[in-house]
Amino acid sequence: MESLVWGYVYPNEAEIQWSILIVLYPYITGLVAGAFIASSLYHVFGNKEIKPVARFALLTALAFLCVAMLPLLAHLGNPLRGIEIMFTPHLTSAMSGFGYIFSFYFIVVVLEVWLAFRVDIVKTALNSRGWKELLYSALALFSYDISEKALEADEKLGKKLAIIGIPSAAFLHGYVGFIFGGIKANPWWSTPLMPIIFLMSAIVSGIALLILLYLIVIKIKKYPLNYNTLYSLAHYLWIFLIVDVVLELLEIISMKYEALEEIEIIEHLLAEKIAFTFYGIQLTMGALIPFILLLLVGVMKNRDKLKVVMVTISSVFIVIGVFAMRWNVVIGGQEISKSLAGTLTYEPVFFGQEGVLLAIIILILPLIILRVITYILPPWKDMIEENEEAVVSSE
Amino acid sequence: MQPHLKKAFTLLAIIIIAFIFVRSIAVPDSFGEYGWYRGDSVNELRNQPVEHAGSQACSDVDCHKTLYSIWSESRHKTVNCETCHGPAEKHVSNVRIMPEPANDSRDFCGLCHYKRVARPGEFPQIDPVTHGENLRCAYCHNPHKPWFV
Amino acid sequence: MKLSRRDFTKIGSKIVIGAATGPVIIDALVKKAQASESSPDGDYDWNKHYWGYVVDTTKCIGCGRCANACKRENEVPFDEPVYRTWIERYRKLKDGEMKIDSPNAGIDGFTDDIPEEEINKAFYVPKICNHCENAPCVQVCPVGATYTTNDGVILVDFEYCIGCRYCIQACPYGARYFNLEKGTADKCTWCYHRITKGLLPACVQACPVGARKFGDLKDPESIVNKILDKERINVLKPDLGTKPKVYYLGLDREVR
Repeated sequence: MESLVWGYVYPNEAEIQWSILIVLYPYITGLVAGAFIASSLYHVFGNKEIKPVARFALLTALAFLCVAMLPLLAHLGNPLRGIEIMFTPHLTSAMSGFGYIFSFYFIVVVLEVWLAFRVDIVKTALNSRGWKELLYSALALFSYDISEKALEADEKLGKKLAIIGIPSAAFLHGYVGFIFGGIKANPWWSTPLMPIIFLMSAIVSGIALLILLYLIVIKIKKYPLNYNTLYSLAHYLWIFLIVDVVLELLEIISMKYEALEEIEIIEHLLAEKIAFTFYGIQLTMGALIPFILLLLVGVMKNRDKLKVVMVTISSVFIVIGVFAMRWNVVIGGQEISKSLAGTLTYEPVFFGQEGVLLAIIILILPLIILRVITYILPPWKDMIEENEEAVVSSE
Repeated sequence: MQPHLKKAFTLLAIIIIAFIFVRSIAVPDSFGEYGWYRGDSVNELRNQPVEHAGSQACSDVDCHKTLYSIWSESRHKTVNCETCHGPAEKHVSNVRIMPEPANDSRDFCGLCHYKRVARPGEFPQIDPVTHGENLRCAYCHNPHKPWFV
Repeated sequence: MKLSRRDFTKIGSKIVIGAATGPVIIDALVKKAQASESSPDGDYDWNKHYWGYVVDTTKCIGCGRCANACKRENEVPFDEPVYRTWIERYRKLKDGEMKIDSPNAGIDGFTDDIPEEEINKAFYVPKICNHCENAPCVQVCPVGATYTTNDGVILVDFEYCIGCRYCIQACPYGARYFNLEKGTADKCTWCYHRITKGLLPACVQACPVGARKFGDLKDPESIVNKILDKERINVLKPDLGTKPKVYYLGLDREVR
């Protein structure tokens, strides 16, 4: 116990309050926001290359959104009272809007998924019998109108929703950053850059996740890989990565340059406590290496096999690197004492309400949910159709 | 508007109305009485039992009047009875409940009087190694009226 | 068939909206918005008081009786490292290093584990919740489970707190802790159950040297006002703009 503390920490700080679950929460909402924005690249900005994965990205966002609330709830001292945040949100609190912003975003995503898949739902409802008919009829809300006029209305609304969806995705996640950035008591958190850093890393992690899931689907289903889609995603990944890293470095540099009262303890944090996860994983593995690899992917001609490997490695590294970034913020910020005169150490436990095991389960859960959703609403034909078109057009 | 969209929005409206309805039932009545909090909690916290009665409570004629008057003129008069004797409200309200005996060990007196570098210099302090041959302090010093051996 | 169902939804939704929203929204918004001026209990008028606290660090002898009394008055778990008040010891070594510690909040006293010859100066600093006028913990509570009373005390509603611990993160002074038993945040109340009955907070009463003073800022004759009117005082971390109501005499610049 004694060795975990360096210098002087306030007596009440003996325990780290926000555990690995609170690391997961911004990580998962980040993946949601990122996946959603990736799908918007097609739905709003009309980037045709993204089309094969656009609906799949929407489902990914939905699957992760379903569990985004879980780590928070599991962490509460009184989980059953959690709903109070909806009943009596205290508006001066950065956290109070969470319930409403989350719900609003959830509605937007669900509606958008519904509109994107309505044709499929109606067709399946009309062509099946028994429980399946009932399920899909219910999903269709017992309206089977897929006339051109109806679909036009759908598309109009879908576009509107996607346009609302982008700022709400940005808001949902930028806002998570503000929960940390607005805490003046903690010098490692308190920066106005925090929301935008969170947002950029969210987009980066979401696109990287989408790439990985796309490659896995291709592998499992033995579909031909659409290189245009992959490279387009990789291109966006690279751009957002640059913005993200620039902001992260800007934060550190301005902290060091301004060298306020807290600089000593922050330098101690960076040198002794989170040196490996910050410089090693977050910056080198999660940013520098992917930056170089993705740059090479952008400039290299042909050699598709190698480029796919490089994109894959970059995505894996980024997904891990962004997790490290969340870790460094959430855990790192709590490892410095607010006395600014000491540090403490977070020791994760494996079992229990705030254990690593639960964190792993919460991370795997969205993948299972995604499997179930894609079973009900298969987005696969986009991946094949588009590819055939592409093949035809290239010939 | 297309009928299917109408249905979707109706469903949404029903959910929202149901939420507002549940909210109106679930929020405690006293919430917002004085501010953005549950007004009843103020009195709940006020009703927490008092544990330390204060020295005045010991001074009753039928209780520790003599000791109280000695103490209240001694140099230890700034030291509240319960600082050494422990919380005694339960004893005050029911004399049958005896408070725990006062700690008369050297180390307990030493909490204030052992020589410590961080203490104000003018505060009376002793070196526990050289002073008093390891006897209990009360052997020489009356804690209720110190400075008289 | 289709038509009738549509009609049904239309009529049904109108009925539901009309019947439910009107009274519910009025009830939910209007009633909850009006803050009453009255006091929660008749025998104590919280609008007539505004409490303040003075710590005279030059008097503190580090006996730890305050922290001890606090734990016993307020049923703070005695054997857990959670405290509503504590005493810090500062020792400036001759080599320039500042050693700060607070073993078990000072409840068991302090022992001199650094030889006197190596120490340049040393002193104790009692710490307690500052009951800030501009309290970050109240600001960040997402549900309204922690609040400032009209008489200036910051309380936690144990029946309402969800246990998110955001307030613990937001307090710059480390004054809050997590109560495992209740699953809520917990902190000093300035012994609200005592001061509203005319008693002193347990820590103030227990202090044998008068290093802790408590009084009513609305009463010009109170001990706190007398000190504030006469002495040069400081507060902890004034740059954070929290406006603490615990005022310090003899505060060293290295105390945070």
